[in-house]
Parts: sequence; C-alpha cells; structure tokens
Amino acid sequence: MTDEPVLAVRDLVVEYRTPAGPVRAVRGASFDLYEGESLALVGESGCGKTTLGLALLRLLPRLGSTPHGEVRYRRADGSTVDLLTMRKEQLRRFRWHEAAMVFQGAMNALNPVLRVQDQMYDTIRAHRSMSASAARKRCHEVLDMVRLEPRRVMPSYPHELSGGMRQRVLIAMALLLSPRVLVLDEPTTALDILTQRSIVDVLQELRRELGFAMVFVTHDLALAAELADRVATMYAGRIVELGDSRDVFAAPRHPYTAGLIRAVPPAVGEATEISSIPGGPPSLAALPPGCPFSVRCGLSAEVGDGDGPAGVCVQADPELTRTGERHEVACHYSDRVEFTREVVVDGV
Amino acid sequence: MSVTEADPVAAAAPTRPAVLRVLSAVWRSYAFRRILKAVLTVYLVATFTFFLVRLLPGNPVEVYINTLMQQNGMSYDQAANMAKALYSFDPGKPLVVQYLDYLNGLLHGDLGNSIGSPGTTVGSILVAYLPWTLFSVGIALIISFCLGILLGMAMAYRRNGVIDHVLSVIGSLLHSIPNYLLAIMIVVFLGIQLNLFDVSQMRGAYSPGVTPEFSADFFSDVMYHAGLPITTYVLTTIGSWMLVMKSSTVETLGEDYVTVAKARGLRDRRIATAYVGRNAVLPLFSQLAIAAGFVVGGSILIEQVFQYQGIGYLLFRAVNDRDYPLMQGIFLVITIAVVLANLVADLLYGRLDPRIRIGGGER
Repeated sequence: MTDEPVLAVRDLVVEYRTPAGPVRAVRGASFDLYEGESLALVGESGCGKTTLGLALLRLLPRLGSTPHGEVRYRRADGSTVDLLTMRKEQLRRFRWHEAAMVFQGAMNALNPVLRVQDQMYDTIRAHRSMSASAARKRCHEVLDMVRLEPRRVMPSYPHELSGGMRQRVLIAMALLLSPRVLVLDEPTTALDILTQRSIVDVLQELRRELGFAMVFVTHDLALAAELADRVATMYAGRIVELGDSRDVFAAPRHPYTAGLIRAVPPAVGEATEISSIPGGPPSLAALPPGCPFSVRCGLSAEVGDGDGPAGVCVQADPELTRTGERHEVACHYSDRVEFTREVVVDGV
Repeated sequence: MSVTEADPVAAAAPTRPAVLRVLSAVWRSYAFRRILKAVLTVYLVATFTFFLVRLLPGNPVEVYINTLMQQNGMSYDQAANMAKALYSFDPGKPLVVQYLDYLNGLLHGDLGNSIGSPGTTVGSILVAYLPWTLFSVGIALIISFCLGILLGMAMAYRRNGVIDHVLSVIGSLLHSIPNYLLAIMIVVFLGIQLNLFDVSQMRGAYSPGVTPEFSADFFSDVMYHAGLPITTYVLTTIGSWMLVMKSSTVETLGEDYVTVAKARGLRDRRIATAYVGRNAVLPLFSQLAIAAGFVVGGSILIEQVFQYQGIGYLLFRAVNDRDYPLMQGIFLVITIAVVLANLVADLLYGRLDPRIRIGGGER
C-alpha cells in the first residue's frame, strides 16, 4: 500500500440546470480515498451526497454538470487521470473496470426484460473478450461471494427476485471486473432489518477479502459507524466534517454532526435522550448568508446571546480546517462544540 | 412479500419438470380462454352484421324481380324463382331462417354468392381482392412502424435539439391530416398540376395485360401501382408512431436501469437496443396489434381515390350495390383479422415482457 490516494477529489462543484437558473448541489467538495479504505458520506436527504456519489463516476443526469474541480484517479500502475476530462470511450472503459457502483436494489436498477445472466454477460462483454464458459464461471464466483445460488439466480428475471436478492445481485455485478473503487448508494435502504444485516455482513467480508476502496452514501449513521473507516458529513452541498469514524462518532467537532448523532438512539448500552435538529435543510437555490447551518445552529445562537446566530457565522462560510491529526471541520466555533448525551435510563 | 416473490424461483430448481408442467397447463388454459373469447367475439359480430346489413334501405333482389316482371312480363312467382336460382338468396324467407342458413353456410366455409356479380361466390371475390390490401397496407404498416420507432428514438435521444423540433412539427402535422385528403392532394398536386406521374396509369393493383407471376417485372409493376397508396398510408400513420415512441423513450431514458447500464460501461448501441429500445417499444405493441388487425380492412377512401383494387375498394362497391353476402363476408374477414391480431398480441406480449408471463395465467 502506498500513501497516495486512489481517488482524490478536489474542490468539486456540481450544478443542475433549472428553470430558475443553475443550482449548485455540491459546492466544492474535497476528500481523498486511500486504497482499501472505506469512507461514508452521511447527511440529510437533499444535502448532495447522492449527487456527489454519482459525480464520482460522471453519472449525473442530463441537467447536471461539473463546472469546476477534479476527480483524480490513480491506476494500479501509479499513473493518474482526471475523470472529469476523460473522453467518452475512455470513460466507458474506466467505468466498472476501475470503479463500479452499487445502486439501491429497491430501485429499478436491473433491466426488467433481461435475465440476470444476460445482464451480467453484457457487463463482462463490454470490457473483456472472454469465452462463454469463462464468463459463466466468473458470474458463479461473484454470486457465490454474495451468498446467492448461481443456478437459481442466473436464469431469473429481476422481478422474480426479492429485494434482498436483487441488492446482492447488484453487489455481485459490481464485483464482476474486480474494480479498485466501489461507490455504494444507500445499499441497505428499503430493506428489512435482517436483510440489511446480511448485506452489511457480505460487504464487510468482501472488503476484507478483496481489499477494494469504497465510498458509501447513506443516511444511516449506524451503518456508517460499522462499515466506515472515515466519515464525511455533508450539509448543503459541502463537506462540513471529515475524520476517522471513531473520532467523529465519539467526539464530533461540528454542531451539525453532533445533532445528527443525537437524533439516533444508540443500539446498545444506556438509552439516552434523543433530540432532533430544529428546522429543515436550506434550499440550495437560496442559501442563507455565511454558514448555511447557522440558522439552525444551537451553538451559534448561544454564542450570539439570543440575538440569532453569532456575527461571524452570518458573515463568512467557514472553510474546512484541520482540528486534529486526521480530523477536519468547517465551523467557526468548532472548539466550543460539546458532545455529551444525557442518559435517560440506565443499562437497558 | 419477498417470500412469495422468490417462490417460483425457489421451487423451480429442484422439481423443474413438475413445475413446468403445472405452469404450462395454466398457460394453456389462459390461451384456451382467450381463444374462446375470440371465437365468441367473431360469432357476435357476424350476427350483428347479418342483421344490420338487412336494415339498410333498398333490396337488390326486389329491384331485380321488379325489372324481370316489367320487362319479360313474368308473374311475381316466376321472377322470384329466377332470382332465387341466380342469387341463392330469398327475401321472402323469414329472417330467422335466413340467419340460420347463413350460420350453417359459415360452418361449411360457404359465404354465399355475390348479388352484385351474379354467379360468383363471395369467397372467390375475397380471394381476388384480399391479397392486394394485405400486401399494400401490410408493407406500409411495417415501414411506418419501423421508421416511426427509429425516428421517435432519435427525437428522444436528441430532445430539444433541431431534429426533435423539426420532426415534432412534421409528425403532428401528418398525424392530423386525414388520409383521404392527403391522397386527393397527392393526385391533384403531384399527379395533375405538377404532372410528376400519370395517375390514370397507376390505377389498379397491376397494369392490364400483365400476368401475375413470380418475376421481377411483375413485382416492379405491382410496386408501381401500390406506391402511392403505400406512401399515403405511411405518411398519415408515421406521425403517431413517432410521437408515441418519443414519449415512451424519454420515459425509459429516465429509468434507473439505463443509468446503471451506463455505469456498467456498456456500449451505447447495446444500451439503445436492449435497455432503452426494448423497454420503450413494449407499450406500442398493443397499438401495433390493433393496427395490424385493421390492415385487412384496408382503407375505403384511399383505395377509392387511387382506384386500388383492395378490400376497401370492394367494400365501397358492395355497399353501393347492396350486396349483402359480400358485405357480410368482408365484415367477417375484417372482424376475424382484428380479433386474431389481438389474440396473437395477447399471447405474444408475455414473450416480450417477462413480467406478464407468470401473472397472465392468474389474471
């Protein structure tokens, strides 16, 4: 393993064209993804996390574009390439072979009129010339990896599979060409608890065995805590906190992250107070001045002595700055964030 | 929910033959029920046309009997007997008996004798006219459907571009022009005023003196005569295929599996055919089936304008002559064609869309 990141995102901006003019869904995101590492992008709905995930593979819908920034990918041989300036055919070869994506199985992610095996063969054939029996063998391998029975699943149509099975098929399909980076978009959303559990187990195991790096987009903090080495919290199109998941979950330095964690009941240990963050996420088309979180921020209100947010919060949008060895936060008062949870009931 | 969905798959592997047998039995009974329904429909329409045709004012046999009585001084009975021998049709019989005779004839494949051209059977007339309609309208439908689908997809892929805007305008314009009007316009403007071709020579299904045979000469002569009707059919129907396909493709392009296919690095052509095209064309198949059914009916007005000797042209003549048996025969053939096309479409749809395959048996 080297110190160079496999994926380096710098100041990435994603814009959507709307009738009212361009709206920035991602406003300058920067992060590194190292080999074999797992990074979680967490945040509320509409904070731009899925858009960022799609932008990494340049899969934005027609109206989306990336006017600024770079997504630098380092190949196994050490050469680097900026995805945003790749040509069409180059990009086609890059996708899935170098970086694959696991979509939500609950979505209509599989073509309803083609058998699972044909969709898998399609994927192989688009990138490699492989004999039919070798392709078949490879499909069996990846389906075995996600603990599906190849003989049953391969000749099925997507509608004949349950949601959990479809999700596994999508994971298996992502592994077909042994990519070095995997982007997962809400891989467990819309599945029942037990199915979620088994998907998480499969992902853990695969990462241990295959050693790919992964970026996964989720609003499920428990999943992030379990699967991620590092966590990036997104708010209004920006990464507001980035750090090792242990640090971030034990001692968040951004009031928004702290609020998110407080809103989730802990699965083990003492039952603590649960509190929500007041207000809702701001519209990306009309962001408040300064820090976009200031209007909902309890800390800022506290500093401002009840006259609304503190002056500096309204004047300037804070930059992501280093506060710990591997911890970056975008908050003017990050040193004053206190994270304690009041215990309501002991030892449940 | 997930358990029941997974069931057919789970059950299929270990006891394949048994499951297959059960499934095919269900499928067969579904097909059986559909066929039964189709036969019933044909019977009902045949019955309705039988009575409706007889409600038309004017009766050719009475007219003929009257003529015989006046010209040859025959008595009514003599004239009626003569007419009966000629027409195999007796207006004096009660309607119910006529109806039973008609049904009995149908069961034996006998459509009766034509009144307009005495001495010839309706069956032989149909055999002479039907192929021309099948040929011209069939080819037109295939051209129109295939071209419309390709253009519709092109519009969807380049939506809001120049191609899209130009084709949208042309498509809605063509869609709104009645086909007989376009036919008349072609004859008047292109044929007579601009004199691009000799309209009178292009009449009929093939040139007089040319013998039907399997040769390049005969085929080119047939195409020469069918050219204008085919052009008119294509131009007046392509607009709707184009526009429907465009909206269906735009919808499909927004589906997740298309984004996923792109993410998988599939080649554009593969995505366009197996992922976008295949799914976008599904909703058009029921319309294609209906259109295919009406191929047999041809178009009365187009065939009339171009004097093309197909079923539509024949129907126009039959109505004018009050040729009851011929009208009944034509309506019956059209009905059977429409019902059959829908039946085939229903049975075929399951082949095209696997989601219906299992559900179809239960519904």
